[in-house]
Formats: sequence, C-alpha cells, structure tokens
Amino acid sequence: MGPVQANQRFVATTVLSVLVVLTSWLGVAAPRDAAALSVAAVIVVIGVSLLTASGFRRDHPVATRAVLSLVTVDVLVAASSFWSATVNSNLAIGAAMSIVLLGLSFLTGSSGQISIGNGAFMGVGAFTVAIWANHHTSTPIAVVLLLAVVAGGLVGLLLGLPATRLRGPYLAGMTLAFAVAFGAILNLFGSWTGGDSGLQLPYAVNAPPWVVHFYSSATSSLTVNSVWLADVAIVTTGVALFFMANLFASRTGRAMRLVRDNDVAAELVGISLPRARVVAFVVSAAYAALGGGLWTIINNAVTPSTYGFALSITILSLVVIGGIGTIPGAIIGGVIYAFSANVISWITAHTGLNPQGNVASQLNGIIFGVLLVVTILFAPMGIAGIVRRWFARRSR
Amino acid sequence: MSALLTSRNVADLLGGVTNGVIYSLVALSLVLVWRSTRILNFAQGAMAMIATYIGFAILAPSTNYWISMAVAIVAGMVLGGATERVIVRALYGKPEINPVVAMVGFLLVLESVAAAIWSTSSRGLPTPFSMVDWQLNHKPVAMSPFALYEIITAVVVMSIIAVLFEYTKLGLQLRAAAIAPEVSRLLGVRVGRMLTLGWMLSSGVGAITAVLVASNYFTGLTPTTMDGVFAFGFIAAAIGGLDSPVGALVSGVAMGVVLQFVGDYLNSNAIILVALGMLVVSLMLRPNGLFSAERQRRV
Repeated sequence: MGPVQANQRFVATTVLSVLVVLTSWLGVAAPRDAAALSVAAVIVVIGVSLLTASGFRRDHPVATRAVLSLVTVDVLVAASSFWSATVNSNLAIGAAMSIVLLGLSFLTGSSGQISIGNGAFMGVGAFTVAIWANHHTSTPIAVVLLLAVVAGGLVGLLLGLPATRLRGPYLAGMTLAFAVAFGAILNLFGSWTGGDSGLQLPYAVNAPPWVVHFYSSATSSLTVNSVWLADVAIVTTGVALFFMANLFASRTGRAMRLVRDNDVAAELVGISLPRARVVAFVVSAAYAALGGGLWTIINNAVTPSTYGFALSITILSLVVIGGIGTIPGAIIGGVIYAFSANVISWITAHTGLNPQGNVASQLNGIIFGVLLVVTILFAPMGIAGIVRRWFARRSR
Repeated sequence: MSALLTSRNVADLLGGVTNGVIYSLVALSLVLVWRSTRILNFAQGAMAMIATYIGFAILAPSTNYWISMAVAIVAGMVLGGATERVIVRALYGKPEINPVVAMVGFLLVLESVAAAIWSTSSRGLPTPFSMVDWQLNHKPVAMSPFALYEIITAVVVMSIIAVLFEYTKLGLQLRAAAIAPEVSRLLGVRVGRMLTLGWMLSSGVGAITAVLVASNYFTGLTPTTMDGVFAFGFIAAAIGGLDSPVGALVSGVAMGVVLQFVGDYLNSNAIILVALGMLVVSLMLRPNGLFSAERQRRV
C-alpha cells in the first residue's frame, strides 16, 4: 500500500467515524416518536441494503464496519425506548462491560497475552471520571470520558513497559498484583478518591431537554433518564466497536496476530515486538477505563469495592466464555453480564435456595468459575468459537 | 544493647523477617510447580485456604492445633495431587494463556465454594503461642513467641524441601523429571508420578503457609485471606526467578523487610504499590528473575 493510498484510507476512516458518531447521536432521537422511529427504520433499511449489495463488503471494508456498527446502535437505541428502566439499566451496564471485553479480547487476540487486572483499569477510568467531574462540573461528559481513556492508557503504559520483555504468566501475575493492589492505591490517594466511601458525581447525567421532548409528559423522568443512559452506553459501545473492528483488520492488527502466532517470524519481517506488545496492552487498558468511566456515569457514583479483584476475575471469565480474542466473543460476554444477575436470581427462585443464604450469594462465582474451567479445557474459543464451528460445518 | 533491640529500625527488621518468611513460603510453593510443570499456579492461595478450612473448620473446634494442622497438610497435598491429575494434565502443551485462565477459574470456584460452605465472615483460629511481644526493660521487642514459631516453621519446611531435593533419590528423580522429562522416562523415572508429587509438595507447603497466616489473630481465616499474601508471594517469586528456590527464599525475606520499612516510614497503603514498583523494575531489568540460571529467551 503506497503512502497516498494509506493517506486516503486514513481520511476515509476519519470521515466515516465522524459520520458514525453524528448519525448515532441523531439515532438517539428515536424514542417513541413516529417521525424519529421512521428515521431509525430508514437508517436500518439503507444500512442493510448497503451490506447486502454485491461487492460492497469486499470493496469497502471500513464502510462495511461503519454501517454494521451504525445499524446495530440504531436498532438498540430505538428498542431501548420501549424497554423498562430495569432492562435499560442492565443494558447500559452490559454495554459498558462489552467495551472492557473488547479491549481484553484485543490484547489476547493480537498478542497472545492475558491480563487479570482489567477490573483495576476499569477503576482507573471510573475514578478519573468522578474526580474530574467533581472538580470541573462544566466539562462535557464526552470529554470527561475521553480523559478516562487517556488516564487508563497512561497507567497501562506504565504497567505495560515490562510487557515488552515478558511472556505469558509473568505478565498475568503482574496484572493480578495490580488488581489486588488497587484498593490500597485508592486509599493512598484517599483525599482525591474519597477513601472507602468513594465519590458521588456532583450532577446526574440526565436526558437533555430535546430528548425529554419526545416523551409524553406522563412518562416518568426515571424511565426517560434510564433510556438516555442506556443510549449513551450503546452509542459509546458502537463507536468503540467500530474502532476495534478496524484495529483488528488493520496492518497493526495483522502484525500483532503474527506476533501472537510466531514471534520469531514477526521479528524477521520487521515488526517491533516490544512496540506491538505495549500497544496491545495500552489499548486494552484504555478500553477498560472507558467502560469504567461509563459505569460511573450510569451509577452516578463510584465505590472502591466495585473495582476489587473479583471484578477482574469476572472480566476474564466473561471474555473466555464469550470467545477470547474475537469481537463477537466480547459482545456475547457483555450480554451474559447484562443478564447474569437475572438468571442467577431465577435459578435461586426455582431451586428453593434461601436468597439470603451463603450458597445463593456465591452461586454467581461458582457458576462462572466452573464455566471458565470447563470452557478453557474443552472449548477454548468459547461460545463464539462453538457457533463459528457450527456454521462452518453446516456450510460444508 | 537493649535500647538497640527495642529501637524502631530493629523492630522493622524483625517484623519484616516475620512477614518475609511467609512470602518466601508462598514463593517456594509457586517455584515447586513452575519448575516441574511450567505452570504458574494462580489457585495456590485458594487451594491452601481450602486445606486450612478442612483442617480447622470441619474438625471440632476443640481439636488439638497440631492435629488440625496435620489434617490441613494432608488435605492440601491430596488437593494438589488431584488438581494436577484432573485439571493441569489437560493443559500440557497448550498455549501459555490456557493454564493461566484455567487456574484463575479454579481459584474462583474454590473461593466461591468456600464462601458458600463457611460464609465470608472471618474465623479465628486457635493460636498455639502468644502473640504478645517479649519485653526487654519494659519495652517490647518486635518478636513474639508466635512470630518465632512462624520463622522456625518456615525454616524447617525449607530445610525439609532442600534435603529432599538435594540428598535423596526421590529428589533426584523429581529434578530429573522437571529438567529432562524424555531422558528421565527412558531411564525409568515415572515422570507423570513425579509431576503429581511436585504438585503435592507444593500444596503441602501452601497449606502450612495458610495455617500460619490464618493463625495470626489479626488476619483470621476467610475465603479471600490468601489473595493478598499470594500477590506478595508471586512478586517475591517473580523477582527471585520462578525457577529458583533460593531466589524465592532470599527475595521473599528481603521484600518483607523492605516493605516493613516502607509501611513504617511512609504509609501502610504504599506497601503493595512499592512491591508492584519493585516487580515492574526488576522484570524490566531481568525478566527471568535475579537468581535465575535460565538464559533470557531470544526472540
């Protein structure tokens, strides 16, 4: 690829990503309004016809990813206006988790490394948002989220530097130590982080007036705000997904997969191993921080106990069960997370367990732990891998 | 003389050694399985915790401390052997992240099951020796009968492991199976059995460590008691070199001492941050550890 072509592709990617952001935010205007819903439907129709047009997917890979992200976001945003506050809150939390999982999937899929500390990186983002918002109440929320991404990336860089020379379990152990240390680190900077009680956001991130306008005045503000928060999370996830899909397919992404599969060959064709490993680690930390930042906005507060060692293990479980190293795996993991609490309480209710008992409270960990071990032993590519194999067999 | 023994720095030194031998034991336990099976046992702390619960929660509270401890050690060794046979054996030759994921999953299962059976509230273990510091001219020396018991136990365990590996036929077979499995097999060593035995020894050391940690009045026994201890033990093992038992011991004690000074002079919340910093710096300088004989892998 010549420099001119590369330049054009960069411009095209930038223009398209701006378009994705703009139209996604327009899609947010969809709730329960006939005109808005028709706009959403038109976006879907145009998107699907583009995706099915002959040669489009082959000739315009970037546009294909943009359209795919856009249509998914559009459908979910339109649907969110019909869902209850509970479902929307689950959806928002799960969508943010998907972003975290995308980052971890990229780390493993591109460099063969694993992190057991991404819960702590989430915490970095979550506290960045809360601290910044408390000191600068006028900063737009999108900018605060970007700051969380930057903070996560920087901490990732600091911890990732040894990753240039480390292999496998050493790096995993180091990230584990970070996850275990995170609580003490928060306490060390207690005057900023609020110590054990954490921080409240000084303001609630509520639906802006132009969104409220779409609803009948009888709709409770709780419902409207839950839809808005879900939409913010979905749109952010859509943008994160779009960038990640391009990263996976880019020259960098391909170089990194070579690093994973055969690092000697990668070095021979001129790929800088240390750089590839650090970049993968920083990207995964930044994505985790974005997810954590969203959680702060969704919960309107942040508590240190959320970002303990257990969260890091949960993240690892989700990404492995969903399908490690793949984009669909990260999305599946997010969906599982969104509704795992409901499934657990359904099981508790139908097995007659005491809901306040020890067993019921540990059911989540037992199920995830067993699934994690079974998955890595018998289906290491997770649900995404099983589905892919099934389709491959059918098409043969 | 007595003023020196009760001084702040000597207190930090003694306290540091007491903590450090615990880190050394965890590190030793990790080194034992890393050398033989090239697997970093992330479930090490959780397995030891389960063994301690079996020794001290299933038996009646009135049971003699030493009998409970013996039961915990046996339970730990059985658990370690079973883990190697059932989970670890399926992981040999797989990509290097598979064992990491599997052992973290096992850790999650063990901690959740322990919490489901014994709840997450802390359980005090009987303490065989007083935890009150000895006095010198009415000033405390930072050393109690309990702390001395911890140090002596650690030294005894390390000596047993060292004698076993260096001076017995079994130890020779264990080392041979770890270093050259193919040749050892040709020479009649039951390599599979040796790997299982390596895991059993490691888990036995782990069980003793967890009993020592949980016997401490201030920590007690909870399903997650060993998380923090494991993190420090791993850091010690990684700094010393995962394939070097001597490195594990030296860096464990050294780290305990340094961190005790950090906690005393700086801030107790800075302890693990400093430990993490030490790990990052040492891994950047020597990725295989300070005491490792292994050559840096060239890529």
